[in-house]
Parts: sequence; C-alpha cells; structure tokens
Amino acid sequence: MQPKKIMICDDDRGILEMLELFLELEGYNVICEINSTHLTKQLISHKPDLLLLDLWMPILSGDQLIKIIRSTTEIKETPIIVLSASVDGPEIAGNLGANGFVAKPFDLTDITDKINSILKN
Amino acid sequence: MRKNASGINNSKQRIENKNNDLDLYLKALNSAYSGIIITDNLQYDNPIIYCNKAFETISGYSHDEIIGHNCRFLQAQDRSQAERKIIKESIERGEECKIEIRNYRKDGTLFWNELFISPVKNDDGQVTHFIGVQNDISDRKKAEYDLREEKSHVELKIQQRTKELQDKESFLSSIIETVRESLLVLDANYIVLSANRHFLNSFKVTTEETVGNLLFDLGNQQWDISSLKEMLTRILPTNNPVIDYEVDHIFPHIGRKVMLLNAYRIEFEGQYKDRILIAIEDITEKKEQDRRKDDFLSIASHELKTPLTTIKGLFQILQRLSAENTDPKYVSTLDKITAYIDRLNLLISKLLDTSKIQSGNLELHMDPFEIDKTIQDAVESMRLAAPDSDIQLTGNTGSIVAGDELQIIQVLNNLLSNAIKYSPESKKVEVSIHKVANFVKISVRDYGMGISYQDRLKIFERFFRVSHIQKKFPGLGIGLYVSHEIILHHKGTLWVESEPGEGSTFNFTLPIVTNK
Repeated sequence: MQPKKIMICDDDRGILEMLELFLELEGYNVICEINSTHLTKQLISHKPDLLLLDLWMPILSGDQLIKIIRSTTEIKETPIIVLSASVDGPEIAGNLGANGFVAKPFDLTDITDKINSILKN
Repeated sequence: MRKNASGINNSKQRIENKNNDLDLYLKALNSAYSGIIITDNLQYDNPIIYCNKAFETISGYSHDEIIGHNCRFLQAQDRSQAERKIIKESIERGEECKIEIRNYRKDGTLFWNELFISPVKNDDGQVTHFIGVQNDISDRKKAEYDLREEKSHVELKIQQRTKELQDKESFLSSIIETVRESLLVLDANYIVLSANRHFLNSFKVTTEETVGNLLFDLGNQQWDISSLKEMLTRILPTNNPVIDYEVDHIFPHIGRKVMLLNAYRIEFEGQYKDRILIAIEDITEKKEQDRRKDDFLSIASHELKTPLTTIKGLFQILQRLSAENTDPKYVSTLDKITAYIDRLNLLISKLLDTSKIQSGNLELHMDPFEIDKTIQDAVESMRLAAPDSDIQLTGNTGSIVAGDELQIIQVLNNLLSNAIKYSPESKKVEVSIHKVANFVKISVRDYGMGISYQDRLKIFERFFRVSHIQKKFPGLGIGLYVSHEIILHHKGTLWVESEPGEGSTFNFTLPIVTNK
C-alpha cells in the first residue's frame, strides 16, 4: 500500500524537522514547507492526504491559509489539523473549518491519534 | 388789736404752713431715688451743706461724714478723669452740666455716677449754691462695657476666622493646583465654574476658554462625550457619588485618553447647592502599559512553547528509538527529563494563564460536578506526587457545584503545593471541606512559616513575591493570583488567615447548585 502523504507547514525549522523525523518513522511520506506563501502552490502540486498547519506565521498566517485552501477548488477538501501554542487556536481552527486541533507542546501520540482518526474517514 | 393779733396769727400760721411745706419737701427729697446734694458756693471750697438719703445709699457715707466736704471726695485717688475739668469750668462759669464720672464709695468700690449740676443764683445773679443730682449708673455702664467688650471680642473672632478661612482657602487652592489629577467644578447646568492647572495642562486649554462654558461645548465640542453625558445626567443624580467611571475617548487634538472619572454632587450650606465636582484621572498610560505587559506575556509564552514543542517531540522520538535499551539508569534518566519538560511547560502555561486572565480571556467550562470527589482525587494525586508530606482530608458535603472542574483542581493543587513548599519543617497539611450556608468552603491548613500582615494584603497580586523568601523558594508569583481569579470567576472567594511562624490557612468558597 502506498504510504499516506502528509504536508507540514510551520515557520519554525525545529518543529518541522522533528515532525518530519517522527512521521517518517511512523511510515508516512512527509513534505515540509517553511514558507507559508508557497503552501498553496505546494498543496496543488503534491495533493497531500493531510495538512499539519501552524497558525502564527509571518506574511500569510494559518487562518488566512485555511480560508484560501477552503476556497481553492483543487485542494478545498484537504483535511487540516491546526497545531498552535496560541490561546485562541482552538476557536480559530473550529470557526474556519479545520478538521482538528492539537495544542503545542504536544505528545506525539496526540498527533498520530488525530491523523489516524481523520485518515480512517 | 384783733387785726394785729390776727396779723400775727396769720404770719405764725404762714410760718407753720411753710415749715409743714419744708417738711414735705424734705420728705420728698429723701424718698427720691436719685442722690441729691446742695453745696454752698459762697463758702470756701464749695462745701456740701445738704445731702438726701439716696446720696448716703449711693456713696456709702453717712450724712454727717458728707456734710462739709467738697464733692471731689467721691473721686478718691482717681483724679485724672477728663470730666473733672468740665465740672470745674461749669462751676467757675456758674453753668449747668451733666457728666458721667467714676466715683468711689466709702468701702472703696467703684460706681459710675451720672451727675447733673445746676447753679442757684440770687437776685443779683450771683451763684450762691449748686444742686447736684446723682444716679448710680454702674449697672448700665457695666452692660455697656460688656456689650463693647463682647463686640470687640466678636470682631476679633471674625478677624481670626476670616484669616483662618483665607489661610484654609489658600491651603486648599494650593492643594487643588498641585494635585496630579484634573479637577473641574460645574454648576447644575454643567457650566464649568473652575478648572485646576492639571486639567488645563492635560487637555491643553486655557482658563478663558474653559471657565464659564458648557462642559460639552469645550474645545469645539470635543468634550461632547456620550458616556460622560450619561454619567452626569443619568447616573450621578441617582447614584451620588460616581466612583471610577471609565471613559475612553479620542480627543481631536490630544488623541486617545482613557480616563477614570469620580463625580460628586456638592452642597455648601447657605452658599450653593447642586454643584458637581469631577476628578479625572488619566489612565491612558497605565492601560497602555498593562496592554503591553499582556502582549509581552502572551508572545513570550507562545515563543517559549515553540522550541519546547520541538524538544518534547525529539525527546519522545528518542524514547521510542531506545525502547530496546532497558538499562534502568538510562530509563530513569529519560523519565527525569520528561518530568522537567513537563514542569517547564507548566511554568510557561502559568504565564499564559495570567495573560489570559488579564485580558479577560479566561475560558471556563462550567459544568456541575461533585466537589467532594474532586477534592479527594486532587488530594490523592498530590499524595502520590509528594510522598513525604502528610496530607489529611476531612469533611464531606454531598454537594454539587457548577464550575470548571479542571480549574478548581488547579486551585487546590496550587494551594497544596504552596502548603508543602513553604512548610519545610512540618509535613502536616490539613484539607477540610464543609458546607457553609449555600456554599462549600474548602480550607488548606499548613504549619509552616506563615505570612505577615503586610504580605497578606498583596499575596493575591500578580507577580507578587514575599521578598525574603524569593532566594530560598523561587517562584513567579502567579499561582495565588491565578487561583484568586479562578475562584472569583466562579463567584466564590479565596482568602488567607495566617500569622508569621504559625502557618497559614487558605480558604475558598464555591456556590452550591444542588445537594445530593
């Protein structure tokens, strides 16, 4: 079976590298994007099965990106899990139609649990 | 003869009649209230040749002691009175005079004598006698004197009072001019009667363009603020005084101001009523600083959490990769790191909690729960976390409270960990839960170092740390602040009873929803 493709977008290189290492160990095909302005293009070209998205990022923030994704035909169905240390993270994620939210700092099992439950559907 | 005899008889009769008349006149003189004397001006030194009874009474001398003296004997040693000259001149000229003069009785006491002197002249116009009529007017004089004294006393008092008032007024106005708070006095129609220097400086206006004008018209209607109008016209009349009423307004020239207004209706008996005193505290700067502090806390905790997320993730990967390595030392080292990562995360979360509370973003998930069980569980987990301590739990209320159970657990954890932390000498901590009216009261008692009165006042403030314990027991000064806010949000209260050296009892209450 083809491994599931997961894209991660976060402006922090440490988090990107850590999640990439972990998710590859978990058997996923991982694509990282540190520059939020490139995300839409990357999503269209790679068509990942799921997106892990940070909220506070320079230039284009996570909430703006969710709006763009949900209104871009080719990628509007992409499942999105928001990762944030921000207080209002859960509210933003819920209001904008993200599929899940995990608060930073997280237990890695929380990430796999969320991913598995979404991909199962 | 008959005629002669009858002539003699007649003259005898006349003399008898005259004597009778004289008797009557003397009786009349003696029954007079005024003292009356007659002096013989033809004799040397004008001696007194007659005095009536009243004169004896007034002077205290007897008739025989009086006769032969010059009137001046009544003046005793008091010889310098101006009135003496008037008497002397009148007598020399043979004229009447009326004076008031100080005289002295036989016993030496003073009396005021109203003296009327009138000359008696013979057919040649020569003054043969003087008649003196005297009245003791001491009582009247005393009354006059008292009145004068009283008047000058009152005048003095008025002068003193006026000076006091002037001093007080200049004292008050110097205070009013010096305070770093803007003060305005308005009349009942909101016309500005006075404005202090701080007001003029803060709002960059002059006295001329302020005093005498309608408050709402000041500076091109820049004071036409609806919330200010509301406060003055609606709230103040029914709710005097208005304390700390916040007005946030953008002034065209000076920009945004956040002001705390205190307003009082004032009345000064007899002078005016229905004046309004407004004290304006400019808290723009303070608000801005608070906002910056909150922003800083929020950003700082967010930024701290980002690398912590990486560390925690990488560490969990490391744990997984080394699953086969079962060396107990290796495993316990990894466990310790986990514990410290969690502790760091907790500290950062606490920072974020304060900033959430400060900006009013504390989210509470209010659901009914059994408080007894919650407290039992929290105590049980604290016993596991601090196995050395001796935590005793008593009481059972059977009550349901509505609230955010996790937050209440956080409060109890804060109180328990404080009780353990600040009681290094005593392991015993007593937790009790009671029903008090329609509240549950939870108390955490320790036997540690206690808290001084001064520190008790500040202990629930954000970032407050008792200075001498900071080195021995480092901390952020957040736990009690957050706990206090959480209990407040649950409509309960959190307070402390403590004496230095005798330990502390922290109590909090929560309203009961139902009983089981």
